[in-house]
Amino acid sequence: MRQRIGLLGLGFMTPALVMVLVFFLIPVVMTAVFGFTNMGTATGISGGEYLLTPKIVKQLEIRGEFDKQSLTALSSNRYQVTEAGLAKAASDGLKSAYIQGLRDSLLGREYSSKRDFERALKKIKDRPRKVRALKKSAEYFSQSILNRRYLTDHEFKTALAATGVQLSATEFDQVLSASYTGWIWTTDNFTNMFSKPDTWVVAFNTLVYVLLVLAFNIGFGLFLALTTFYLPSGQSAFFRAVWLLPRISPPVLYVLLWKWLTWDTGFISTVLGWFGVPAFNYMLGSVGSAWAVVVLINGFVGASLGMILFSSAIQAIPKSILYASEVDGANRWQQVRYIILPQLRWPILFTTSYTTLSLLTSFEYILLSTEGGPGNTTNVWALEAYFTALNNYAGNLKYGYGAAMALVLVTLGVLVSLLYLRLFKFDELVARPKIEN
Amino acid sequence: MRILLDNFTKKFDDVMVINNMNLEVRDGEMMALLGPSGCGKSTTLFSICEIYQCNGGRILFGDRDVSNVTSQHRNVGVVFQNYALYPHMSIFDNIAFPLMVKKMPAEQIKKEVHKIAELVHIGDLLERKPSQLSGGQQQRVALSRALVRKPDVLLLDEPLANLDAKLRLEMRSEIRRIQQETGITAVLVTHDQVEAMSMCDRIALMDHGKILQVTTPNDMYHNPQTDFVAGFLGNPPIAFLDGVITNGQIQLKDSAIQLPLPSRVPVQPDGKIVRLGVRPEYFGNQAGIELQGQVSFVETQGRENLYDIRLGNGAVLRSIQPVRADAGLGDSVSWPLDTEQILIFDDQGQRVA
Amino acid sequence: MSDKNSSNFKSWPVTLILGLFSVPLLVMYLYLFIDTFTNTAPGSLIPNELTFEHWRFLWETEPGTVSIWQVTLNTLIFASVMTLVILSVSLTAGYALSRLNMPFRRFFLAGVLTLHAFPTVTLVIALFIVLQFLGLYNTLIGVIFIKAALMLPFGIWVMKGFYDTVPWEIEMAGVQDGASRFMVWRLLVLPQIKPGLIALGVFSFLEGWSEYLMPQIFAPEADVQVLSVYLASLIADDQKFDFNLFKSIGLFYVLPVIVLYLVFQNKLMNIYGGGSKG
Ligand SMILES: Nc1ncnc2c1ncn2[C@@H]1O[C@H](COP(=O)(O)OP(=O)(O)OP(=O)(O)O)[C@@H](O)[C@H]1O
Ligand SMILES: [Mg+2]
Repeated sequence: MRQRIGLLGLGFMTPALVMVLVFFLIPVVMTAVFGFTNMGTATGISGGEYLLTPKIVKQLEIRGEFDKQSLTALSSNRYQVTEAGLAKAASDGLKSAYIQGLRDSLLGREYSSKRDFERALKKIKDRPRKVRALKKSAEYFSQSILNRRYLTDHEFKTALAATGVQLSATEFDQVLSASYTGWIWTTDNFTNMFSKPDTWVVAFNTLVYVLLVLAFNIGFGLFLALTTFYLPSGQSAFFRAVWLLPRISPPVLYVLLWKWLTWDTGFISTVLGWFGVPAFNYMLGSVGSAWAVVVLINGFVGASLGMILFSSAIQAIPKSILYASEVDGANRWQQVRYIILPQLRWPILFTTSYTTLSLLTSFEYILLSTEGGPGNTTNVWALEAYFTALNNYAGNLKYGYGAAMALVLVTLGVLVSLLYLRLFKFDELVARPKIEN
Repeated sequence: MRILLDNFTKKFDDVMVINNMNLEVRDGEMMALLGPSGCGKSTTLFSICEIYQCNGGRILFGDRDVSNVTSQHRNVGVVFQNYALYPHMSIFDNIAFPLMVKKMPAEQIKKEVHKIAELVHIGDLLERKPSQLSGGQQQRVALSRALVRKPDVLLLDEPLANLDAKLRLEMRSEIRRIQQETGITAVLVTHDQVEAMSMCDRIALMDHGKILQVTTPNDMYHNPQTDFVAGFLGNPPIAFLDGVITNGQIQLKDSAIQLPLPSRVPVQPDGKIVRLGVRPEYFGNQAGIELQGQVSFVETQGRENLYDIRLGNGAVLRSIQPVRADAGLGDSVSWPLDTEQILIFDDQGQRVA
Repeated sequence: MSDKNSSNFKSWPVTLILGLFSVPLLVMYLYLFIDTFTNTAPGSLIPNELTFEHWRFLWETEPGTVSIWQVTLNTLIFASVMTLVILSVSLTAGYALSRLNMPFRRFFLAGVLTLHAFPTVTLVIALFIVLQFLGLYNTLIGVIFIKAALMLPFGIWVMKGFYDTVPWEIEMAGVQDGASRFMVWRLLVLPQIKPGLIALGVFSFLEGWSEYLMPQIFAPEADVQVLSVYLASLIADDQKFDFNLFKSIGLFYVLPVIVLYLVFQNKLMNIYGGGSKG
């Protein structure tokens, strides 16, 4: 019987488990996996192929580890009429008389330059009349591996060997990896990340952002909870409703209103304009004002969470205690300091840890407002990861590098949320079911 | 149908709550499971209906071993302390639920529900929702729902605990009446001795997961097997005195007072340590050996007064008797103790006689 | 507290500070209404003309753009299907976690609690690639499932909380009355948590309706655009900048939110209090 209930339970859990597996566990693992690749728009996300271009040969030459001669040999173009080439040409619909002519007079011959080979072709009787068609037909017999796509590394190795160019084992491997167009495993993302000065700027920004917004959220949330608690009920309901607006407004609209408030055609500039202050874009105009706006945008939203949580905690304090303290002659400040605040210790701890984690990883409001600007001055870690991997003007998306940056946050997230298990009284939460069958 | 618990054992993870319990509830009988809070009464009850699974031993209904039969198939009716009515259903639907689950035809359901509603006197409440009923009415509904599908056994877990004093009195006799009219075998869990004594044919007294004594209320009151049973039953409770057998008599501890052994008691060896149990009604009323003491507490109960008398050695005897003017707080009194009615236990708490 | 005139407390300084801080919000939301049906000369804040021209987006669609109604429909589909998914999945999972004996129960509970706190935005890069693999990039269904899945731990947790409040005795009684656990759930427990279901449903719908980031990342293209992405792309387009138009669309966008919020205020508060987003 126990068995059957277990099955019912697992059955009830299955949809959730599948979704959690596909959209949480796999992505977490994949973030880690992608972080160790160089995936991006250039490499694609599926496998790659092998393509040796003159440019790559140039790069190899610049590295200077190669024998000049073998590089020249690699890039030299050699032509030879082979049965394979003829068959390919025939299947592409070239005239059979021309093919027969080629077979009869040129089969097996080798030419070391394109010009020589084309000259030989011109002597065939049934050759194409147009020069372009003739030149094109020459390509069937090119023996070079340049500019050809090879789907597997086996094909490419065979072709490389067939050129007859003498390469040492290390040279061979270098050519191989340089010509690969797909993504590869690498730890470069992390070494790059820690060596780039930009990373440290962004990390510092993140720290500033989290600290400032956190301070605003908690401090102002507390202020709101306390004041609305003491104000007459009509006023406090009004202020609570006003401060909930940012939370229930869609972020796009909310940030739009801030733009209207802070841009050079906006409210503040208009009002200050009456006093002769020139119009100014406070959101993007200077680093200081941009930071102020970013902190306020996030802070105004976040303060309401503190307001809600702290308010309900204050409501839970027995009224009699408050009245008693008042009778004892405590003023409001003393009441707050000695009676209310101690009761809020736990909600404050909860809100702080929760807010910290979500601020560290959030970037929605910054993306919508300053987009990290002006310059890179309000860019934070999560936003940088997003830009790197999913959205930048150059269109050169680096999934691998972005994933590596995200991996830092994911690791942090996993660690901190595991901490939550300690914060919550987990053992009470898992009290066993009372019906045992 | 009789219920037999045979070496029944129940533990929660590592906590042993009931260890090898044996208990028989006879066919048609109402049995009380009585004991202090946390002694395992509810655990036993819930195991009988398989909300809990037993970890050892067998449970038999009649001669059928139901240890591995699920709740749904045990055919047990249960009344819970808070009634557990389904709040979103009308009273009719509440009572009809067990029949509906059995896929009984609607016509028949209607007939059955009305029949049981008449028996339990709630015929005119069927259209209402549970929240529109008083506690006593809810209790009746819970009872009808438990009875409507003609269970083999009726289990009641503290059914009166949530009622006020007056309703409790009324429901006490109602439940008993309905049980007797239906002739169903019932088990009543309670920690209230008055409930157990007034409603049930027999009482099983439990402590720490063990059954201490099973017998009729009357016998349990007058012939408790242990000092725990003696102390649990009776209100106001029994008073205990420590003593030692000296020259075939009982010498009270730290005192010169000697009491004779009741005549029914066989000769006891000298030096044996004993505990005497004296019920309040046997001190200060009939003739007997006069004991000197000081009134240390008086409680007015209306028709009677309850007195605590501190003896010379510091021990306290309790007396209940009609209100009298000659005994105020602090007064010295000399009252008779009916030594024939003293209960004697050994130092392990087992009844000697 | 009711004793407003208590001698050891003056309320006006506090009201003043609170009022000052609230001014930006009041101004923003006040002008959100005013600007949608008036015109104001540059450099002034007093409207000089009443007009409905900012609302023409309702009946006119500029060539090369999507109709607002198409976008609204997308948003509606996105928010409601997502809500359905969250509700149905957390309805069963929440019950299993709250009430059923099953293997790995502790582990699942710990998992849900951990995921509940986990910052989901960190996963978008991997999810982007997962979606590409699945071929669901730029589809509503893909972003619906992602948003639903990311809210799921929260939904399950809230649902479990609601189930926890249903008295055990009701289930015990149901089982004793001969109903299977499934029937007990379906007939006896589900009706009890209907208020919770509604609260979670409204909350999820509002979350979906307001969501910007996920649709922006996973379904940005015109034919699957939702209102947030639509409005954001309009704002981002430097060519025709028109605050009054944006505000009108914004007001159109936020109206259902405000209505739902006013209706379900009290129920929603409980959920907000449960701590969902920073
Ligand atoms: N699920 C459980 N897990 C662990 N221990 C339990 C559990 N349920 C009950 N117990 C323990 O088993 C013992 C008996 O509990 P039970 O509920 O049967 O007591 P009871 O006699 O009904 O008491 P009460 O009169 O207070 O209802 C108690 O000590 C209790 O702590
Ligand atoms: Mg109990």
